[in-house]
Amino acid sequence: MSAKIRWTGAVLGVLGVALTLVLHWMVFFWVPTERTMGVVQRIFYVHVPAAWVAFMAFGIVAVCSAVYLWLKDERLDMAAVAAAEGGILFTTIVLLTGPLWGRVAWGTWWTWEPRLTLTLLLWFIYLGYFLVRSSTENPQRGKRFAAVVGIVGALDIPLIHLSVQWFRSLHPAPVVMRPAGPSLHPDMLATLFVGLGAMTLLFFSFFLYRYGLERVSQGLLHREVAEGRTPQPEGVLS
Amino acid sequence: MIRGILFALALIALSLALVVPAEAVVPGGSMAEVIQGGLADPQALAGQNLRGYTHMFIAYFIAWAIIFGWVISIARRLRRLEKALRE
Repeated sequence: MSAKIRWTGAVLGVLGVALTLVLHWMVFFWVPTERTMGVVQRIFYVHVPAAWVAFMAFGIVAVCSAVYLWLKDERLDMAAVAAAEGGILFTTIVLLTGPLWGRVAWGTWWTWEPRLTLTLLLWFIYLGYFLVRSSTENPQRGKRFAAVVGIVGALDIPLIHLSVQWFRSLHPAPVVMRPAGPSLHPDMLATLFVGLGAMTLLFFSFFLYRYGLERVSQGLLHREVAEGRTPQPEGVLS
Repeated sequence: MIRGILFALALIALSLALVVPAEAVVPGGSMAEVIQGGLADPQALAGQNLRGYTHMFIAYFIAWAIIFGWVISIARRLRRLEKALRE
């Protein structure tokens, strides 16, 4: 892995960990408690940032996949894979922390309401992204198919966003970006932004390392093929 | 042509994705009414709704366990590959 990736990842990681420590201090010692839901509302500060990072990651997958189909630059495919892996993990966080909150706030762990269902669908689509990659004998074809899944999957993100307006939903209306201004308490808003910053920094740090890992992996494959130790798979090094 | 359309669709999806967190939605109202004082404040704690206290800690544990697990996984895979590269 290049020193540039290693050092940039390390700097972002250190900043992310520092901001995470600040976030935990704010969540457990500083931010006021919401009157109706009580302390369980503090799940908000990990649930929403995880959703933000997941959507951003899948946005990166879609853009990198689209440009990969256009330019056939392997680095874009590697970036898409790295982002997709992070996106799946952060969506998993969303899907696990949401029910813990919903059990107390709504009285149920899970309900097939539009936003929850579409978020679960998003998770399955990007699981499919990895299955499609490894389902063809020709790796290049697998990458192309996966790129299409990555692009189509991102179309679910605006659906998740708009589902609360289009359908009857347990999720209420937006609380931050409203025409009348945020309805959140200012301290809660500050804590939310620290959470968003912390998770975004951590994601980009690990994304860079995951991207570096993909490059090392491809480098090793190319070397083994060049040395004749591994038979050249159809489509590789083309 | 098809690639151009796919690229445009991806850009639109990304733009919308960037808007989503700003319009963060939560289960249960506007969250405008609060009880002052963090969890560490005993006086404030007495008046708080502690329902789901364990749920909150489990949620944070799960979130950081998954993130930490990803880091460990990347580090292990990277070490294995770099070892293979050296051999």
